[in-house]
Amino acid sequence: MPPSTRASAFAELAPFIEVPSPARWRRLLRRDVLRRLSGRAGLTCAAVVCAVALFGPLLAPHDPFAITGGSLGPPSAGHPMGTDALGRDVFSAVLYGARTSLLVATGVSVIALACGTTVGMLAGYYGGWIDNALMRATELFQVIPRFFLAIIAIALFGPGLDRMVLTLGLTSWPVLARLVRGEVIAVRDLDFVRAAEAMGLPGSLIVRRHLLPHVMPSIVVALGLLYGQVLLLEATLGFLGLGDPGTISWGMMAAQAQGFLRVAWWLALFPGLAITLTVLGVNLLADAFSSARAVQ
Amino acid sequence: MHTVNRRFILGRLLQVVPTMTVILLISFLLIHLAPGDAVFTVAGEHGDAAYYAFMRHRFGLDQPLPRQFLTYLGRVVNGDLGFSYVYGRGTLGVILERVPATLLLTGTALAIAVVVAIPLGAVAAARPHGAQDVGISAFALALYSTPAFWVGQLAIIGLSLRLGLFPVQGMTSAGSGAAGWPHAWDVARHLALPAMVLAAQEVAVLVRIMRSAMLDELPRDHVRTARAKGFSAMQALVRHALPRALLPIVTIIGARVGHLIAGAAVVEIIFGWPGMGRLLIASLQSRDAPILLGLFLVVSLTVVLANLLSDLVYAAIDPRIRVR
Amino acid sequence: MYHHDGQRRGPSPLLLLLALAAAGCASERARRDPATLVAAIGSDPGQLNPAITTNGGVHTAAGLLYDGLVALDDSLRPTPALAERWEIENGGARYRFHLRRGVRWHDGKPFSARDVKFTFDKLLLLYHARTRASMAPALSSVDAVDDSTVVFTFRRAYAPLLQQLDVSEAPILPEHVYAGSDPLRNPANIAPIGTGPYRFASYTPHSEIRYTANRDYFRGPPSLGTVVLRIIPDNDTQVAALEAGEVDWLYGVPGPARQRLSTDPRIRIIHSAVSAGGSNCISTLGFNLDRPWFRDVRVRKAIAHAINRPQFVERVLFGDGRVADAPISSGIAFAHAGDLPIPAYDTVEAMRLFEAAGWQQHGSDVRTAHAVRGVADGTSFTIGFKGLPGQMVYGDLLRAQLRSVGIDLRLEPLEQGVFTQAVFTARDFDTAIGSYCNGTDPEIGVRRMYVSSSVAPVPFSNMAGYRNPAMDTLFDRAGAALDLNERRQLYHQIQEIAVRDQPYVWLVETVSTQAYSVRCHGFGNVSHFAATAACTR
Repeated sequence: MPPSTRASAFAELAPFIEVPSPARWRRLLRRDVLRRLSGRAGLTCAAVVCAVALFGPLLAPHDPFAITGGSLGPPSAGHPMGTDALGRDVFSAVLYGARTSLLVATGVSVIALACGTTVGMLAGYYGGWIDNALMRATELFQVIPRFFLAIIAIALFGPGLDRMVLTLGLTSWPVLARLVRGEVIAVRDLDFVRAAEAMGLPGSLIVRRHLLPHVMPSIVVALGLLYGQVLLLEATLGFLGLGDPGTISWGMMAAQAQGFLRVAWWLALFPGLAITLTVLGVNLLADAFSSARAVQ
Repeated sequence: MHTVNRRFILGRLLQVVPTMTVILLISFLLIHLAPGDAVFTVAGEHGDAAYYAFMRHRFGLDQPLPRQFLTYLGRVVNGDLGFSYVYGRGTLGVILERVPATLLLTGTALAIAVVVAIPLGAVAAARPHGAQDVGISAFALALYSTPAFWVGQLAIIGLSLRLGLFPVQGMTSAGSGAAGWPHAWDVARHLALPAMVLAAQEVAVLVRIMRSAMLDELPRDHVRTARAKGFSAMQALVRHALPRALLPIVTIIGARVGHLIAGAAVVEIIFGWPGMGRLLIASLQSRDAPILLGLFLVVSLTVVLANLLSDLVYAAIDPRIRVR
Repeated sequence: MYHHDGQRRGPSPLLLLLALAAAGCASERARRDPATLVAAIGSDPGQLNPAITTNGGVHTAAGLLYDGLVALDDSLRPTPALAERWEIENGGARYRFHLRRGVRWHDGKPFSARDVKFTFDKLLLLYHARTRASMAPALSSVDAVDDSTVVFTFRRAYAPLLQQLDVSEAPILPEHVYAGSDPLRNPANIAPIGTGPYRFASYTPHSEIRYTANRDYFRGPPSLGTVVLRIIPDNDTQVAALEAGEVDWLYGVPGPARQRLSTDPRIRIIHSAVSAGGSNCISTLGFNLDRPWFRDVRVRKAIAHAINRPQFVERVLFGDGRVADAPISSGIAFAHAGDLPIPAYDTVEAMRLFEAAGWQQHGSDVRTAHAVRGVADGTSFTIGFKGLPGQMVYGDLLRAQLRSVGIDLRLEPLEQGVFTQAVFTARDFDTAIGSYCNGTDPEIGVRRMYVSSSVAPVPFSNMAGYRNPAMDTLFDRAGAALDLNERRQLYHQIQEIAVRDQPYVWLVETVSTQAYSVRCHGFGNVSHFAATAACTR
């Protein structure tokens, strides 16, 4: 293993991660995460956004695509976040936008989780040439500038959430893979794993029963941070006009605000605020997880 | 010690080759997987039949795929990234003339970020979980969670449009035509706001790193000795912990280059800064695929080299490094 | 943030921010050079050859560099430019132009009739979409009789020629620079040589283009020494730059800002039907008549009734334009037929027509087909809408309006090249939007929308794919007729048929608004706006 692992492996996430131990996993969530202000704030933000994503269409006062007010109306009782140039309700659009953001971030996380955990487990548990080959591949993927790759893929293949999820997912797993590998290596030689091996349990069972639970907490933390990053990436791509024009996204709303910064501040303020609060919620939660463990 | 270092450096250098090959392979595959004739992707969409025949032959698109890849590889290694119909010129030249503006923006942003983040991180680490630490950490996390375009929009609304503190847009004042120092001052005025906006995200990351690196250093012997000799906490921190804690900063800067360029693209668009980001979005709008792929390659190479550089610097500074 | 002990704190980011802000503050507004005028343009033109494109950005940026054979005055009447005078012969089928003598290109070479012939034969008739579409079918040849005489010979009488020879429709380029080269890749496209009032000085991509006065200009040297076209992509930012005194001239003013600018004593606003991309433009929704659901005229009428066009004027144009009340723009006064029964906004009538055509609606769902010819029963009325990204705002409003009558519109923003390919070459679209600039004569920009010969892979030709022999005949007669009254009647008949068949929905006539700083005055028409302008401090 080249030492570059150390130099640039978790450069991205390392400072944010302090890994909780699996034994106190559940209690940690109940007692320590929720006891922290950051944990409660994060959980609240995340819960609100999830609720909005699920029930947004029911909560929205208007059809976000329909003309329901005057042009560029400031926030009022009927339109709490104002209206855009065409007279569409910004509040309803913000509610609908949650779904797009979470859909993309969740899709990317699922792909990253699947790839990252698999690669990391295999590399860490088996070691040797498997480890070597997998880690080299991981490094290759890690240097691909995913923002630019996503832009080009969407430019060449046309806008759509599917390709956005795919390109971001396939370039986001390396950090997870390296994290999982490191964790697995740390426990591979511990007694309980050795004992399990001595009992002749198959590798897959050892991985599932002994390694995975151990690695899980740090995966959750890393995944939380990744989730936040992807939310920002999705918003930025939408801002650049690469989102799906048929669905509402916060980034796209921010892009439309760009022409009205002077006359309609509300168009820029609310979508950006929605993105920030969502990302902040996810990050706070991840932060609470990792620092709860640090104090223990 | 020396041999270890040399082996390490050699190994890292050799790694660049397969990495770049894979990136070229990805870009090659994108050309071929994209809907429509691949020749449009390397030659733009506004040419005539004869021109397409010429470009098809030149890029070897009339050959079997593996052979094509080798031809493509050869072209790129020779600095031929395709021809942009929109600009009527070779892609590489169009991209390279944008590099200085982006370099100025990212370099300034990085400098601002380092200058702001190091003291903040150090102060936060001085009393972990104290009021300052909590405040600074929360500030960093909030910055980390905010999209760059939003910070930019709010900065324009507040600082430029409402308060008139900064020029709204561009790299120079339109009418000035100044040269020498007045020109430099003009550029600096235009640079200030976009550079600060771009720096915001980096500050967020660097503060966290600085803080955790300092926390690692504080319990070490030499710092404790310094405290015991009667240095104040801050003196001990600055003289003994800070220099070593800077090490991870070097690393992180290398690893953040990709983010920095991506962030710069967004900031350039908002502030009309004439760098690679503006080129990116303009090429996106004109579907200038040769430029887009060229940008992808140039940015990839930059990221790879930055990673290499930071690893080498790390190896040079930190004697503990070895090949496992 | 507070601290308990004697620790020194590091410099706060707030302090740094303040220091930088102070630095920004301290800068006095730069004193402006009275001999320099700065204008803002919205996009980087990429290149500066106006003869090979109808791209408005290129024409804006290149207008100052070139001349046409004629110029058009404020009421769009032809006046002498490179041609000093002209005669119309052979019943309107031959035009003889006598060129101004002693005109020189910016590189010092003399201008001659050969340049005119070359420009038409090798550039305009091949690459300029409007000139190619309107003039090429009728033109038999362009000949340089001697150094200062050019003759245009047509197969039949061709009325609109003089309206098509100004700098935006037919700029004249130098043969000695372009001969024998691929005009799309000639290096002069980014370092152009013209005859115009300004010479090219420098081009900094995505930043600015600089021009210096042509002291030898045949109409006399301009009073401004330098013109800078500053590329500022964002409209709002352009306005801010005008207000800050950084810019003196805006080619367009975004609607929301116009109110504010019109009360600003430092700024003047003017309106005109002429924009760099052409004149008398109508934003037009086109139906692809090859698609089965648009074969029934009732469906096309129903959609026209469902569209609230005043809302487009109010919310898309912000008052900068008017509802199009005829297929031909009101800017072509003699041909405009304002008395025709254009479908008015009437959702009840729209719903009735949809039902009659077999498109039924349950509740507020999307309509579905029941016994519609060529469409499977149960197919939902979900249609695509293609347009350039800048025109998607029309799609946004259209989608909102059509939803209320049970039609689901899917927006597909496409870049210029892809749009042309999809809509005009592959004809792979349901509906699309185009800004059809009618020009100063229906022959220039209206004919191409309706005659069957222009159902062709040419940008902004007959988008609908509308074919009607009666229409073709009428256009041929109207183009050949020399009597204005006769032409008026023929164009009236043409518009009656167009309204009856409704291959398009004519949404709004757009006008362009320019704004300038009172520091400057004496602006001419758009392409040569700076030729006669002067500025003070």
